[in-house]
Amino acid sequence: MDIKKALVDLCSADGVSGDEIAASQVALSMLKEYTDDCEIDRFYNVTGHFGQRDDSRPTLLLDAHIDRIGFIVTYIDDDGFVKVAQCGGVDRRITAAQTVTIHGKEKIKGVVSVLPPHVKSDKESVAKIDELVIDTGFSKEELSEKIALGDRITIDCEPCELLNGRVCASAADDRSGVVSILYALELLKDKKLRYNIDVSFTVQEETGERGAKMIGYRAAPDMVLEMDVSFAATPDSEKHKCGVLSKGVMIGIAPSLSRRMSDELISLAEENKIPYQIEVMADETGTNADAIGVSKGGAQACTLSIPLRYMHTPVEVVDIEDIKSTAALIAAFAEEKGGEQDA
Amino acid sequence: MMPDMMKELCALCGTSGDEREVCDYIITKLPKNCEYKVDPLGNLIVNKKGARTPVNKVMLAAHQDEVGFIVTYITDDGFLKFAPVGGINPETIIGRQLRFKNGTIGVIGTKAIHQQSESERGKAPKPESLYIDIGAVSKKEAEQKVRLGDCAYFVSEYFEFGNGMIKGKALDDRAGCAIMLDMLQKDLPYDITCVFTVQEEIGTRGARTAAYTVSPDYAIVLETTTACDFSGNEGEKRVCELSKGCVVSYMDKGTIYSRELYNLAFDTAKEQNIPCQTKTVVAGGNDSGAIHTAVGGIQTIALSVPCRYLHSPACVIKKDDLIATQRLAYEMYVKLCEKE
Repeated sequence: MDIKKALVDLCSADGVSGDEIAASQVALSMLKEYTDDCEIDRFYNVTGHFGQRDDSRPTLLLDAHIDRIGFIVTYIDDDGFVKVAQCGGVDRRITAAQTVTIHGKEKIKGVVSVLPPHVKSDKESVAKIDELVIDTGFSKEELSEKIALGDRITIDCEPCELLNGRVCASAADDRSGVVSILYALELLKDKKLRYNIDVSFTVQEETGERGAKMIGYRAAPDMVLEMDVSFAATPDSEKHKCGVLSKGVMIGIAPSLSRRMSDELISLAEENKIPYQIEVMADETGTNADAIGVSKGGAQACTLSIPLRYMHTPVEVVDIEDIKSTAALIAAFAEEKGGEQDA
Repeated sequence: MMPDMMKELCALCGTSGDEREVCDYIITKLPKNCEYKVDPLGNLIVNKKGARTPVNKVMLAAHQDEVGFIVTYITDDGFLKFAPVGGINPETIIGRQLRFKNGTIGVIGTKAIHQQSESERGKAPKPESLYIDIGAVSKKEAEQKVRLGDCAYFVSEYFEFGNGMIKGKALDDRAGCAIMLDMLQKDLPYDITCVFTVQEEIGTRGARTAAYTVSPDYAIVLETTTACDFSGNEGEKRVCELSKGCVVSYMDKGTIYSRELYNLAFDTAKEQNIPCQTKTVVAGGNDSGAIHTAVGGIQTIALSVPCRYLHSPACVIKKDDLIATQRLAYEMYVKLCEKE
């Protein structure tokens, strides 16, 4: 499996929260490489079962979210400019003069308006999301034929490669997590499994872990491993609140997570010489693990985070090696050691 | 055609002081019957014979340079500190990809929104607090790709959209360059001098020396100018508007324009049925500022294409306005050549 290509393909699909279908289809086609038992549900969650089922063993859910942050069209004004609301926490400081695509009946290009410095009185403050206007170059009448209120908007940014195998791709949050699961399945092909493995690529994480609530109920796993991204240190960030890019998978420890799972994952990383770092969170984790952990009668949960720089901007940066170490640790956790092949 | 040339011109990388790539491209596009020289600053001065010798010597000028970034320092862990070259809108720096001329790509970002304080979330960070991330893990590795003084450019796809709109980086002022280059392709009634100036964005420096060297009787500056005709701006705050044609201003921060030429521009536009407008705010400036006070004083007029989102990665103009500006530039050049 070409991890970088998979990431770029997934990140090239739109799929803003609530309208994930395009990304879900790409993810489903990738998942089909590893199991025929998979589908997209009514909400565009992707779900699947991997490997043999055995009622005597516990079920492990591997989850990552498929949605990405973006905007939703709320109004077209008389001059044809588009007003928006956000789907997920867009960093509003990066919005000015971005090129965007409105995913309407047609894909319409636009630019987020901004006052140039020559005429702006308050040079420091940036527009609030509800003050943004998108310039499509069409009149209201023309535009109303092409897009509708409720259509989603993504910021354009072609994925590209930086030095050292690092990749810049918007929606690396959390398509990197999706890729880590797919690569783990690749590593687990033909291996004997400790658990029944369920897979989900869930929707609407960015708007409140809503897909995870549905899947947590339906899958009702005994355990869940949540693969999301987390903060990689940048020169301006507080080091004690961040992991480090390229230093390996971040194993979560938190009051809301299973200490047993965290401990086991750390041991497995040590045993298998998988590069890892510890990510301590003081209460809940802000990931789907929070919702899935309390679905039905509860599930043991742990997070495996992929360090990422510049989260919730179009220039999110991840390291392919961190996706690999995440996948390696998932596989180490799911594989039955010393057993026979799971024929 | 002009729009094709625009696309190629905007793709070129030429911050102030580093315009060579733009200059070289323009030279390859000059027809054989032009004479040109590149002056010590890098201004490209092009002379073309017309059918007749004009009464007055007329110079057209547009600037080659664009806003961009220059690398000033490399940190131990391989991040590049930079300074903006020209007045880049500070709101449009983070969350972008940049490219160096050697193909190295970098990004500018900050800590995640989740880790920002409430006051940080509402403010554009100061450029001096930012850095370019090319993925390097050490100063040594970064230095193999980038030298101090190298310039970085916005990655910004050029495309047409909406109703005849064009979006791209560097439309300021490759639009003016395209108009002049297009004029030079044609048979002209009078001798003409076209100057592709340098260092406009850092203080109209090229125009100063070019005006001295050319010493024309009249100058026409071809530019882009701020249009704020989008939602949220009413009345005079709109400055000027797309679809309303060429912009002729009476005054900006660098020039009080010759009233005579200002009136001549509007009279000519009316006579030729060319859409033409003025600005409702005194703001900005262009090469006119340096030219009109050069060599004892040169009567100067600026003809501009209205442009939204100036000094950002995504400038937007309208093709109709570009054509109107080109037409008016031609008519004004003829009138000024003949003016008694």
